[in-house]
Amino acid sequence: MDLEDDTTVLTTLKSFNSFISHSNNAPQRLSEHSAGNGNLQSQYKRSMELLDAADRVHSKNRYLQLDQEKKRMELSHKRARFELEKAASDSARDFEHEVDRNQDLLGQIKKLGERETDAAKNLSEQVELNCALRQNLKALNRKLEERDTRLNTASQTISSLKDEIRELKQKIQNQDSTTSSQALERQELQEQLDLQRRKYQEVSQLCQSLQAAQSSCSEHIIKIKELERCLTLQEQDIAIVKTIKSEAAKVPDLEKELKCLREDNAFLRESRENCSLLKEEAEGLRRKLERMQKTKEELVNIELEKERMAEKLQAWENLGQSTGLNIRKPEDLSREVIQIQQREIALKEQNYNLNSRVRSVERSQSELCAELSQQRSKTLEEQKKRETQDALVRRLQKRVLLLTKERDGMRAILESYDSELAPSEYSPQLSKRLREAEDILQKTQNHNAEMEGQLTKAQEETGTLKLQLQTVELELDSLKKHQASAADSNSLVNKEEVSILRQSLFNLEAARSRVEEQNSFLLCRLKQHKLIFIFLSQGDYDPVKTRVLHFKMNPTSVAKQQRQQDVEALQEEVTRLRELVRSLQDGGAMVHSQDDSSMHAPSLGLSFPPSKEVLDLRKQMESSELRNQRLKEVFQRKIQEFRTVCYVLTGYQMDITTENQYRLTSVYAEHMDDSLLFKKGSNGSMQLMETEFSKTLGEMVALHLHHQMSIPAFLSAVTLDLFSRQTVI
Amino acid sequence: MTSTLKGITLKGSAELVAEFFSFGINSILYQRGIYPPETFSRVTNYDMSLQLTTDPKLKNYLTNVVSQLKEWLFECTVQKLVLVITCLETNEVLERWQFDIECDKSAKESSAPREKSIKTIQDEIRSVIRQITATVTFLPLLETPCAFDLLVYTDKDLVVPDKWEESGPQIIDQSEEVRLRSFTTSIHKVNSMVAYKKTDSV
Repeated sequence: MDLEDDTTVLTTLKSFNSFISHSNNAPQRLSEHSAGNGNLQSQYKRSMELLDAADRVHSKNRYLQLDQEKKRMELSHKRARFELEKAASDSARDFEHEVDRNQDLLGQIKKLGERETDAAKNLSEQVELNCALRQNLKALNRKLEERDTRLNTASQTISSLKDEIRELKQKIQNQDSTTSSQALERQELQEQLDLQRRKYQEVSQLCQSLQAAQSSCSEHIIKIKELERCLTLQEQDIAIVKTIKSEAAKVPDLEKELKCLREDNAFLRESRENCSLLKEEAEGLRRKLERMQKTKEELVNIELEKERMAEKLQAWENLGQSTGLNIRKPEDLSREVIQIQQREIALKEQNYNLNSRVRSVERSQSELCAELSQQRSKTLEEQKKRETQDALVRRLQKRVLLLTKERDGMRAILESYDSELAPSEYSPQLSKRLREAEDILQKTQNHNAEMEGQLTKAQEETGTLKLQLQTVELELDSLKKHQASAADSNSLVNKEEVSILRQSLFNLEAARSRVEEQNSFLLCRLKQHKLIFIFLSQGDYDPVKTRVLHFKMNPTSVAKQQRQQDVEALQEEVTRLRELVRSLQDGGAMVHSQDDSSMHAPSLGLSFPPSKEVLDLRKQMESSELRNQRLKEVFQRKIQEFRTVCYVLTGYQMDITTENQYRLTSVYAEHMDDSLLFKKGSNGSMQLMETEFSKTLGEMVALHLHHQMSIPAFLSAVTLDLFSRQTVI
Repeated sequence: MTSTLKGITLKGSAELVAEFFSFGINSILYQRGIYPPETFSRVTNYDMSLQLTTDPKLKNYLTNVVSQLKEWLFECTVQKLVLVITCLETNEVLERWQFDIECDKSAKESSAPREKSIKTIQDEIRSVIRQITATVTFLPLLETPCAFDLLVYTDKDLVVPDKWEESGPQIIDQSEEVRLRSFTTSIHKVNSMVAYKKTDSV
């Protein structure tokens, strides 16, 4: 039905849409066909038609909608019916559930009934158990009774024990009593102890007093000793005094002796001068004596010499007779001597000449010998040369002969070959044979040359040997000749030995020096190695390859500079402090010599800085002294003022003579000495003292002081009296 | 820095060795008491605590020397570094710390980095510095006020920089020598040794 409704709805809609499109097309066509003819009317008609169609459509729609609603209602009715049926089924189900439950409950009731029966059974069982338990209880009660009996016995024992305890307590009490008694005894003993202690204290006090007495005794003893010492000193003094007295008694004797001694002194001084003069004379005489002795000795010597000379003279005089020469005077002797000397000189000259000749002859001889030997050697050489030349010549001749022979042979061969050449040509063979022959020739020639060379060498060697031999023989001959001559031969040998020894010495010394050089060199190298080793281990460097650098401003240099500066600064400070100390010492001396009133620093011209405290204290001192002075001045001024005012107003000048004594002098006093003396008593009251002036004022004293007891009245009365006396109108 | 790279370059090796020298010299100055201990502050490096000076003048001097040394290490022209301790009163050398440097000249700037872990190098450096600290036990006490100087042994043909000048080797005569450990970065090898004046001969 719904589908049908839907289809009807759709068909209506389709028809409506088609109608609207038709109507649209129609107006369009109509409008196209008839544009301006009755457009409005047609349009109105069309619109009216359209409206009708729309109404119809609307009513159809409504009808359809109502149908739909009706269908819906029916649907809802059906749903409600379904639900009701469901509810019915549900309730049926519930009912069945209830039925089931009822059945369950019935079952449960049955179960409970069964349980009840079970419980009843349990109960009966429990009752039985109870009976058993009661029986147990009874057994237990019986046990309890037994225990009670036992308890009773135990209690009995307890009671017995308690009795014992009581006994023990009694014992304890007894012991307590004993202890108390002992305590009492102890107290008594303590009291005794106290007594003893008191006694001990008294004894100690006695001891102390004894010690004090002893100390006083010792002091007394010391005093006694001192006194004894003083006594001894005094005795010594007495002894001294006595000796002095005795010595004093000796004084006049001593004076006499003195006089004698002085006279002796004068005498001795004179004699001393004489002595000195005598001594000088004695010395002069002694020197003369010595000289005289010397002259004597010389005299003796001279006499001896004279005798000797006389003998000599005689001998000389006799000489002439002994020698047989015509000698009488020394001149003749000298002449003879001269002649002899001349002869000697001549002979010596001859001797020298002969010697020189001999030497020259010897030299020439040796030269000749040398020349001889040379000539001989030359001749030998010449001979040898000649021999060699002869040998050479002979060899050459032999060679020439051989050569000629060879030539002949070769010529013969050549001729033979030439003769044989015509028939046959054996040129290659001939040339071969020629060559072979030439080779053989050359070899033989070489051999010959070698042999000749060896020969010449041998001959030369023999020649040299012969030369050496001959030279040696010549030397030997010369040596023999030298030996035959004078003692020079030995010295020559010795000289040779000496020269040999010297040479050996020289060599040895050279070797030693070399060895020493090596030694020193090795030592140097060793030192170098040591240094190298040290350097290597410690950081030596090869100056060629490495270089050592360090920072210019390194801490060591900075520290060294700092140190230098510190040292200089310290030295300066030391000098400055020394000067300060010196100045202070001088200044201290100055300060002690000056008074305290001088407040100026010592005027030394040194600028030493006094400490702040000192300056402050000085300032304080100055200020306080100033203050004192000012106060003094002020006080003085005030006192002076007050005194003058008192003098002027009261008419009395009051002076303090001594402590508590005041002297009053009146303005109108007739004499300068007229004064009243008052003394202040210990209780503070003033009392008038007796003076000459007060004696004249007896009446006023009696009236005012004794009767009226008023000092001011008395004083005023005195002034009035004096004033009346003074003023004369 | 070489810590991020896997291998050691010439530049990195030079920096490592220069850093070692900086810390080593500070340790020696602290241990031997050349400068008062309160002028040193504690820093951590090579997995151990080291002392570094706070004195500005000394710091300035050390940075100058170490930076110049780094250059020379890069150029492979330095042979030794010597720390000399002299007594101020007598002007004689009391101690000589010598570090011999062997440079592998085949490692140029452009060559590939060498395989050696930073950790092993640092361990070696740490052991050397620990040994320097341990030498205090046997070195003689420096009782007099002392000052130190740093000498560098370089090749002869090197151009002497501005603030540097030539000096002597400052050898100790009659010295006792002790060889310490060495460490290598596979490009630079540093041998350490200390020589001190025998106390009997003083």
